[in-house]
Amino acid sequence: MRHSFTIADRDHAVWLARAGAAYRLHVGGRSMSVSLEPAADGAGVLQFDGARHDVVMARDGDVTHLHIDGEAFAVRYTDPVRRHAGSSADAAEDVALAPMPGTVVAVNVQPGERVAAGQTLVVIESMKLETSIKAWREGSVAAVHVAKGDPFERSAPLVTLAPEARAR
Amino acid sequence: MRRIESRLNTRSEEFCSRAQHNRRLAADLKELQRRTRDERPQRDVDRLRRQSKKPVRERIALLLDPGTPFLELSTLAANMAYDGEVPGAGIVSGIGIVSGREVIIHADDASVKGGAWYPLSVKKIVRTLDIAIENRLPVVHLCDSAGGFLPAQADLFADRYLAGRIFRNQAILSKLGVPQVAIVLGHCTAGGAYVPALSEYSVIVKGTGAIFLGGPPLVKAATGEEVTVDDLGGARVHTSISGTADYPADNEDHAIAIAREIVGQLRQAEKWPLDWATPEAPYYDPNELYGVIPTDIKQQFDMREVIARTVDGSRFHEYQPAYGATLICGFARVWGYKVGILANNGVIFNDSALKGAHFMQLCDQTRVPMLFLQNITGYMVGREYEHRGITKDGAKMIMAVSGAEVPKITVICNGSFGAGNYGMSGRAFDPRFLFMWPQSQISVMGGEQAANVLADIKVRQLARSGQTLSAAEIVGIREPIQEEYRRLSSAYYSTSQLWDDGILDPVDTRNALGMAISATLNAPIGQPHYGVFRM
Repeated sequence: MRHSFTIADRDHAVWLARAGAAYRLHVGGRSMSVSLEPAADGAGVLQFDGARHDVVMARDGDVTHLHIDGEAFAVRYTDPVRRHAGSSADAAEDVALAPMPGTVVAVNVQPGERVAAGQTLVVIESMKLETSIKAWREGSVAAVHVAKGDPFERSAPLVTLAPEARAR
Repeated sequence: MRRIESRLNTRSEEFCSRAQHNRRLAADLKELQRRTRDERPQRDVDRLRRQSKKPVRERIALLLDPGTPFLELSTLAANMAYDGEVPGAGIVSGIGIVSGREVIIHADDASVKGGAWYPLSVKKIVRTLDIAIENRLPVVHLCDSAGGFLPAQADLFADRYLAGRIFRNQAILSKLGVPQVAIVLGHCTAGGAYVPALSEYSVIVKGTGAIFLGGPPLVKAATGEEVTVDDLGGARVHTSISGTADYPADNEDHAIAIAREIVGQLRQAEKWPLDWATPEAPYYDPNELYGVIPTDIKQQFDMREVIARTVDGSRFHEYQPAYGATLICGFARVWGYKVGILANNGVIFNDSALKGAHFMQLCDQTRVPMLFLQNITGYMVGREYEHRGITKDGAKMIMAVSGAEVPKITVICNGSFGAGNYGMSGRAFDPRFLFMWPQSQISVMGGEQAANVLADIKVRQLARSGQTLSAAEIVGIREPIQEEYRRLSSAYYSTSQLWDDGILDPVDTRNALGMAISATLNAPIGQPHYGVFRM
């Protein structure tokens, strides 16, 4: 499984492999020898198959800002687990289940309503603690299974979001 | 170390005819491997696609670090069983690199009978886990099996080395501190359900992955309860309710990415510090091996020519070059790793047997892994040799080969007959890996000799009842016996039955050995100690 980088909205799958004391970069069906000689202040010399390029780099988390041959690029690394997450056929994904037994303190949404990820759907109370059940994704509310004051058991369905085709 | 001086004439007619013959055998091997890996009935391919499952080899390719080698083992298991309908015994196994760590992979091939386990599938999985135990290799299981193939249950279930051994081996690995990661990509039913349950880490794919002791039809029959696959043992059930699996994954790619992350945080193995030097390609071209191996198994050839085309720089320090000359012993390097080589150069006499037992103890004492290159017709027989104690000298070799603590690797280069197979680290003597060359033969005695013995017995039986046979009739009796014997002593039968870890194209031997030696160094090596040698 190769690493995934995004440059100007385009995904690139690449792999850096050890080759003796040096490295080879695999991109598409090609591979080339690659090396980086770092200098001070993020500057350095990058070599591809012997061709030398002066570069300046600044890292900001998963994004590396790269200045090479007079052009600037933002290169974003996407962790493979994050990149491949997201498309499954599991209907259970659409239902919020009660994490513990308790009672409903407040219901903040109604069927048909659009919700944003992170928006509070219902508030429950259990063991002297109030817990907000929040939307785990954007979507529209298909059903609210409880009303204010209702008691419920652990794993009881609270709110269902309408299933949506999720892009990979 | 000095370079071997090859005496091979690469322009001779003999070389060219041998090369042509052996290249054809290698091409036949590659073609059968290709069919075993890639050719499946269309309906099975379509079924996998409908279930949004990837073919097993795509899964393995995603799991491995790109650009790193994969040493596939026992590719042709079951090639001569079950009418050839269970390619690879429905299992892919091999050693590869995942997130920078050496691991061994066991993968069910759902394109073969829904991944059902046949007796030889069980044997292959058990062997894979034996390798993991002996070499302390972490395991990645790619689980997608319908369970045991019921019509053959009597041959796969109850005995010591049958299905239960898979789970026993998993438990022993855990006890040894060797981690296992299971990726549940399909159903894990009945015994197969224990594979993820006994792994320290398990990832399960939502929608397609499921684990249960009994599937929905069995549950319905047993208790009348009606339940869906997902509700009985799907990803949500096992990762949030039962705790049988650890990580839910949204799809196969996601599951494999999670597994790579898990392997990436395992502790890096501390390898046995074997003497190592920068590798050097053999001075003599390994492709010339095709011209070394004779076209007839009865023809003798100099095993130094094989060593010269396998080891670093073709350099070989030969030990006792003038004594017991039918067994070549000495030190060399393979991909930089130091090894002690024992190679047959004719029938084993008393002196060659003593030399072999002595050299094995020397390797063990100096902590050097042993490489056995077999081309052995057996130990010398006859009055003189028995009087000199050929049997007790052979027993010394067996005592040494069984007791040695350093890793052993065996390559059957040509013949492997009779007790010679034992003294030269045959399968029963626990070499960490055992490979065969395509033209090699393995049996308790040579095929021609055995067929003659069997045919003679038959002819005498008929003679006793007053029948005399013409020469043509005797041939008619001998031929089918010989043909059956040839079949059962071929490398393809051996590999079908998992008497070895795979057939190698001779030119690939050096690479396979490099990976095999590297794998062996994950395990600690005990102090030398032996049983009693009959002197």
